[in-house]
Amino acid sequence: MLNNISLGRYYPAHSFLHDMDPRVKTILYAVYLVAIFIIKEPVTIAVLAGIIILQLIMAKVTPDILWSTVKPMIPLALFIFIINIFTIRQGDVLFSWKIITITGYGLMRAAIMAVRLIFLIVSTSVLLTLTTTPLKMSDALEKLFAPLQVIKIPVHEMAMMMSIALRFIPTLAAETDKIMKAQQSRGADYDTGNFINKVKGYITVLIPLFVSSFRRADELAVAMDARCYRGGKGRTKLNPLRLTLKDVLAGVMFFLLAALVVVLDLSLR
Amino acid sequence: MPEEPNKIEIKDVSFSYDIVEESDGKAPRKALDGINVTIEKGSYTAILGSNGSGKSTLAKIIDILEVPDSGKVVIFGKDAGDDELFWQIREHCCCVFQNPDNQIVGTMIEEDVAFGPENLGVPNPELRERVDQALKDVGLYELRHRETMALSGGQKQKLAIAGALAMKPDILILDEATAMLDPSSRDDFLEVVEKMRVEKGLTLITITHDMTEALRCDKLIIVNKGKVAMEGTPEEIFLSNDLWQYGLKRPVKYNYAFEIARLTGSTLTKEDLKSDDTIIASLVKMLTKPGLKAPAVENKDKKEIDDKDIIMSVKDLSYTYAGGDGKAIDNINLDIRRGEVLGIVGESGCGKTTLISHMNAIIRPVEGDVTIHTKDGDLSCKNKKDTMKIRQNVGLVFQYPEYQLFEETVYKDIAYGLKKMNVSQEEQKSMILEAAEKVGLTERELNASPFELSGGQKRRAAMAGVLVMRPGILVLDEPASGLDPRGRQEMFAIIKGLRDSGTTIILVSHNMDEAAVNCDRICLIDGGKIKAVGKPEELFLRKRSEELGIQRPRITRFSSMLKTELKKHIPGVVFPEKHFVPETEAQSVVAAVVKAGEKNA
Repeated sequence: MLNNISLGRYYPAHSFLHDMDPRVKTILYAVYLVAIFIIKEPVTIAVLAGIIILQLIMAKVTPDILWSTVKPMIPLALFIFIINIFTIRQGDVLFSWKIITITGYGLMRAAIMAVRLIFLIVSTSVLLTLTTTPLKMSDALEKLFAPLQVIKIPVHEMAMMMSIALRFIPTLAAETDKIMKAQQSRGADYDTGNFINKVKGYITVLIPLFVSSFRRADELAVAMDARCYRGGKGRTKLNPLRLTLKDVLAGVMFFLLAALVVVLDLSLR
Repeated sequence: MPEEPNKIEIKDVSFSYDIVEESDGKAPRKALDGINVTIEKGSYTAILGSNGSGKSTLAKIIDILEVPDSGKVVIFGKDAGDDELFWQIREHCCCVFQNPDNQIVGTMIEEDVAFGPENLGVPNPELRERVDQALKDVGLYELRHRETMALSGGQKQKLAIAGALAMKPDILILDEATAMLDPSSRDDFLEVVEKMRVEKGLTLITITHDMTEALRCDKLIIVNKGKVAMEGTPEEIFLSNDLWQYGLKRPVKYNYAFEIARLTGSTLTKEDLKSDDTIIASLVKMLTKPGLKAPAVENKDKKEIDDKDIIMSVKDLSYTYAGGDGKAIDNINLDIRRGEVLGIVGESGCGKTTLISHMNAIIRPVEGDVTIHTKDGDLSCKNKKDTMKIRQNVGLVFQYPEYQLFEETVYKDIAYGLKKMNVSQEEQKSMILEAAEKVGLTERELNASPFELSGGQKRRAAMAGVLVMRPGILVLDEPASGLDPRGRQEMFAIIKGLRDSGTTIILVSHNMDEAAVNCDRICLIDGGKIKAVGKPEELFLRKRSEELGIQRPRITRFSSMLKTELKKHIPGVVFPEKHFVPETEAQSVVAAVVKAGEKNA
């Protein structure tokens, strides 16, 4: 069950977006993040959806993979949708019963909120996690934030930490699954009882998980030491980041598309 | 004093992991205690010893991953205490550790191999060449753009070797690198290592619990309590009778040869042990001597199992993981007999774990069913209401269960399962003590924190946590993995004790030697399907195992070499029986030879 987590997971393939310079992708991601949160109009949302679909195609992401990334977020999206429906009371009333009032405006706002969340997830995946290996991503962040080193921020170390964290997500997910199964066979039941009992049940999972994470951290540190890791100084790269004309052009194009969507949205208000 | 340029020299080194016990004010226990070791350049050395003997620490000292508290480390003439030489030494010494998951840094295969040389600052055209060459050397080049997590355990360890080779080391240290691999991946891995050793002229140091693996080495060093207890060639070491106190045993074939020597009143010398051929030749000589006496064959015969008394039946069971390709298990039909030890054997990824997870409804059957036959009627794993009863009846101990302990004391941890049942405090206590006794835990250990115990003790504590529910069926997934030979033997003694007290045992293993010795029946799984079920002596008949494509236990292979040779020398000799305990097999061979001699006379 937990083995199938796809959050933050890389999807190995050869595609235009996979080969794109991760720095460009990171900047584009920031731009799209802003765009997603600015736009409100159904028309521009549709346009943005079109652009994201184009990116998905360019990344050769199959519907299965897309679904597995979006699926875990659906309950949250639904939750946001429902909360918004019931709390927004402006606009024409469509339905009213006791304290429940649903308005047309509220329905639309709620839908936009939910769609934004889905866009957010899809954008994060298609621009970053699905198409960029953690090491490349940390390379990109290291390069982009390199100026911060002047004010003594350990940029390389932070980037390395992030890439290791991502690398260990599947490993720790598998471990959690194993611990839960072992405790279930000793009679643990995580799904029944009141809230407090459920939380208590999970604590017994967390303790061995923490212990084993520390053990893994220890072993990994020794292994990295053995491979002569000593920080970012003097390191070379197997695949150094190279900004090609293609990357720049694609970056500019996607930037313009995002800008266009935002301008269109603002002009429609 | 001139330093030797062709030697690794560890001189009078002491080291401790700095755990100062505040409560009792004792001095920290020394992991290494004035150890002296010399290893020649280009040699192949095994460091052996019990769990916690200090052998892994010794490896870390050689790679200067730990700095000694006192003493001197000189690697090929370079003093490790010299800060200038520190990185030079570490650069040329690489390690492969036990757990494949905890040494992979990269998400992609080639990224991971590049990690080492990148750290060394190797510039690009050369860096690319090194990575590609290393991947070609271990046979992973085709997979270089794949995810590291998608590899099997054996492939991950080969990846670790590639990561080491890309740094162009002079010394390669394998720290129990094969402990988590199944036999075929292990052989595969060792073959790659051997090839690299010869081709690249590596100085190879291996830390292992596998005595047969140690036979490949030029020199063995036995470490005990942070000191060198013995060192010498494999023949010299395995001639000694002191191995047991260091947590070690002789390799299977030596056990067998020494037993024959004892029974025929002869002795084996260092020269006799040189190779399989010399051992066989000297054994033939011993057995063709006149005046042999027939020994009593210790018939520790496996008790008769009633094949009609079924305690669990697996029927038409198939399962596919969400997102997995193909069935993990496919149409499994299996009856488990009350009181038997059933071995489930197969390579990693064949579906063993999926099958046993169905046995106590950790995975609920989707297609087919598992039924438990108890005194109070049948329990179906499909039936949600029976879940708790099933889990009480079928105890499941996963691999490395010690990583799942969580309570403050061992006692409380064992009690975990009982709290979910309606058992009085008094009764709980007696049940916990009973479970602790079955696995041999003392009262002191019960009151300790699980994290203070040694690896072997932790594992027993985890087993007790399952046994406390008094399950009629106990499923054990690789219960002995990672333990030293003595620990393994003790674990199997515990299992035998459980069996003798009437518990039905399902033992998952990839070690054919141990499965053959300890199981009444073996169920062979391959690609999610049952390939064969039967008694070990049937499955390991030469013809049958060739049909099934399985490797026979080491003892069987070695013994049949001897038997073939004996048939040439002794007319009319027949070997009607097959045993898997080396000593018993030796006795039966001697008995058969004596019988043939009497008939011929």
